[in-house]
Amino acid sequence: MRFPKRTGRTSGPGRKVRLATAAMLLVATSVTACGDGQDDGEKASAPKAPATIPELSKDPLTLSFIWFEWPPAKALEAFANAEYKKERPNATIKVNTVPNANWHDAMFTQFAAHKTDFDIAILDSQHIGEAVTNGNILDITDFVKKNIDVTAYNPYLLAAYGQYPQAETGKRDENASLYGLPLLGDTWTMIYRKDLIGDKPPQTWDQMISAAEKCQADNPGVSGLAFHQANGSDAAAVTYNTVNGVYGGNLWDSKTRKIEGVLNDAAGQEAMDVLVNKMKPLTAKGSGNWFIDEVNAAVAQGKACIAFNWIAASGGLLDPKQSTLGTTREQILDKLGFATLPSQKTNLVPLGGMGMHVSAYSSKANQAEALNFMEWFERADIQKKWAAAGGVPSRTDAIQSPEFLNAGPFNKVYADSVPRMRDMWNVPEYARLVNIENTNVNAALNGAKKPKDALDDIAKEQQGVLDSGNRKGGGGL
Amino acid sequence: MSDSVPLTTDQPGQVASATPPVPGRSRRLSDRGLAVAFISPALLLLLAMSVFPLLWALYLSFTDYSATRGGPANFIGFGNYTAILTSAQVHTRALTTLIYVVGAVGLQTVLGFGIAYLISRRTHGRGVLTTLFLVPMMLSPVVVGLFWRFMLDAQFGVVNSMLGSLGVGQVEWLTRQRTALISLIVVDTWQWTPFIMLIALAGLTAVPKYLYEAASIDRASEWFRFRTITLPLVWPLLLIAVLFRAIEAFRLFDLVYILTNGGPGVSTETLSFHIYKVAFLGFNTGTASAYGILMVLVVIVLTQLYLRYLNKLKEG
Repeated sequence: MRFPKRTGRTSGPGRKVRLATAAMLLVATSVTACGDGQDDGEKASAPKAPATIPELSKDPLTLSFIWFEWPPAKALEAFANAEYKKERPNATIKVNTVPNANWHDAMFTQFAAHKTDFDIAILDSQHIGEAVTNGNILDITDFVKKNIDVTAYNPYLLAAYGQYPQAETGKRDENASLYGLPLLGDTWTMIYRKDLIGDKPPQTWDQMISAAEKCQADNPGVSGLAFHQANGSDAAAVTYNTVNGVYGGNLWDSKTRKIEGVLNDAAGQEAMDVLVNKMKPLTAKGSGNWFIDEVNAAVAQGKACIAFNWIAASGGLLDPKQSTLGTTREQILDKLGFATLPSQKTNLVPLGGMGMHVSAYSSKANQAEALNFMEWFERADIQKKWAAAGGVPSRTDAIQSPEFLNAGPFNKVYADSVPRMRDMWNVPEYARLVNIENTNVNAALNGAKKPKDALDDIAKEQQGVLDSGNRKGGGGL
Repeated sequence: MSDSVPLTTDQPGQVASATPPVPGRSRRLSDRGLAVAFISPALLLLLAMSVFPLLWALYLSFTDYSATRGGPANFIGFGNYTAILTSAQVHTRALTTLIYVVGAVGLQTVLGFGIAYLISRRTHGRGVLTTLFLVPMMLSPVVVGLFWRFMLDAQFGVVNSMLGSLGVGQVEWLTRQRTALISLIVVDTWQWTPFIMLIALAGLTAVPKYLYEAASIDRASEWFRFRTITLPLVWPLLLIAVLFRAIEAFRLFDLVYILTNGGPGVSTETLSFHIYKVAFLGFNTGTASAYGILMVLVVIVLTQLYLRYLNKLKEG
């Protein structure tokens, strides 16, 4: 049998051709993978949505949302498919969910790719700055002017879920642009055991701590307090910010962009001391990684005297299947009370909830459908129906409506809390700021750092992030 | 289908003629060309999925590029590298990672080799035992992380429940600085000891029996046989297993993400977890790329040193 002559390594033009081909392939791969390089050179800014809703598609269409996995996400999908379909039978609503810890990444990695599998991003109020600066969501200022009755809302709610630059606490700047509309309002509720500490909820933070202390001492196996302490998402950060607000502290001076010296001033230090040295000892052992579900579980199993949680996540507490406090909703309500947060030096409460924001990378037909959905969702009658379906509305008429106030025992807490709300920073650097605060507060709560050191580190590191605009290299460390 | 070509002739003693080229095959497509044609799809995939991202990351590592902010990727030289190498935050994570790698891989090596040695001495049920020991390795790290998270829960976890029945108080496995890192090491050891065991078992099985027989004739003790026959012959293979595990442990992410999320504070944040935060919290793509490249370099350098040692060992 004759074999072809082995030539060894090819030399001369053949080898060069192959090398050149390989290089071309690499370049071609690079160009393909990089996509449209023209975008990179342009300064990002949010594109504008039309003032009037464009003609809607008559073809079957799926309007996709992205949110994190929790009961309101399921409620929204069910509600929208039941109600919106009455007006738009060809539209199907799909609420895609990811774990809470991946929520920001799931949205912004798609924004980074300039291609999203969602049409409406449900952004946390603090995500707006990042999305607007990067041009990821539509500017809907003109659309809102033409289609939404802005006077129907508490101005701060409208600002918190849509305005950028961020509004001053409690106000709305009518000249600022809007990039979203409220989807779900939320704040913390105090959940207390009426059978253990009495029917009347504590009115001040000091009273609350005393009541928890006494309850824990009187009821072995039941911890005085349960609250968010985890270092994922914004869990521990919201807890500190709440105590900070109640004790008269500030997170920053938004006008001068100063955090150091503001966050860790005397009020801030007192808040950290109260949280770590007075509140933490009243929590269950090993609760240093608790978030929404763990706090709810502790309440439902009768293991906490007083707990703090988001209202929108509290519905399950009244489900007898998930609770050991009673076999009926009424029996559970005999033991559980819901109240607004106690006040101390101020009566501030944390602003929660999210708004709807139209993806700049969605198709024109879907953007039109998204605008139509938002206009529909913000109507007075729909907001009341949303309230009855378990949602937390933002229109004042819906918040005050019997449909909302009678839908859950915690809904009145929300209604009473609206004028007391304060948000965090809504700036493009939010994700890093909250991570710094979360990890440091979590460290202080779990004994890995002294409270004062933790607070000083937060202030110093956060200030570093805000001041790092002109830094050459190492951004993000 | 072509007719078969006879390899013999009718006349004895005559050598069969060479097979003519298969009809229809292009004269230009040599065996080498054919080889290239077959390899090309895999090569293209490799270029697209591995080589290009690596080169692209290398390019980005010298820029201030951000994936979400857009804008041009400005060249900043070694700015990212200098910042990473001088960052106290990175040093902290590097130390955490080092403790984790040494702790986890060390424990896995001792346990894995021990189990393999015990199994190799059994004649019955060796296959079943090996299969049972391999089960943890077959599970997804996310699944392993989740069920260990429940098992280690201070309030209702089965581990504390068992300790409680022995009179030991509640241990905060995942929320205290020291226990959190120990927990990570224990969980990783639970999952990956079988890997070391498997390779050690292969090495132990390959030790020639006659060496032991000769030692028995010389009335060598069990310890002497282990020290002078078993260990020297299995050692090179074991070191390869350690190398693989060390590389894996060095880039640990999943268990940290599920079990502790880097906490309490940042006390269990490994280098990979920190890169993830740099890359996706602030979308500092340039810095994250440089960070990743540095990690790859560290692995390459350490592997080279290790392989040289391994070669010397073999030559010796």
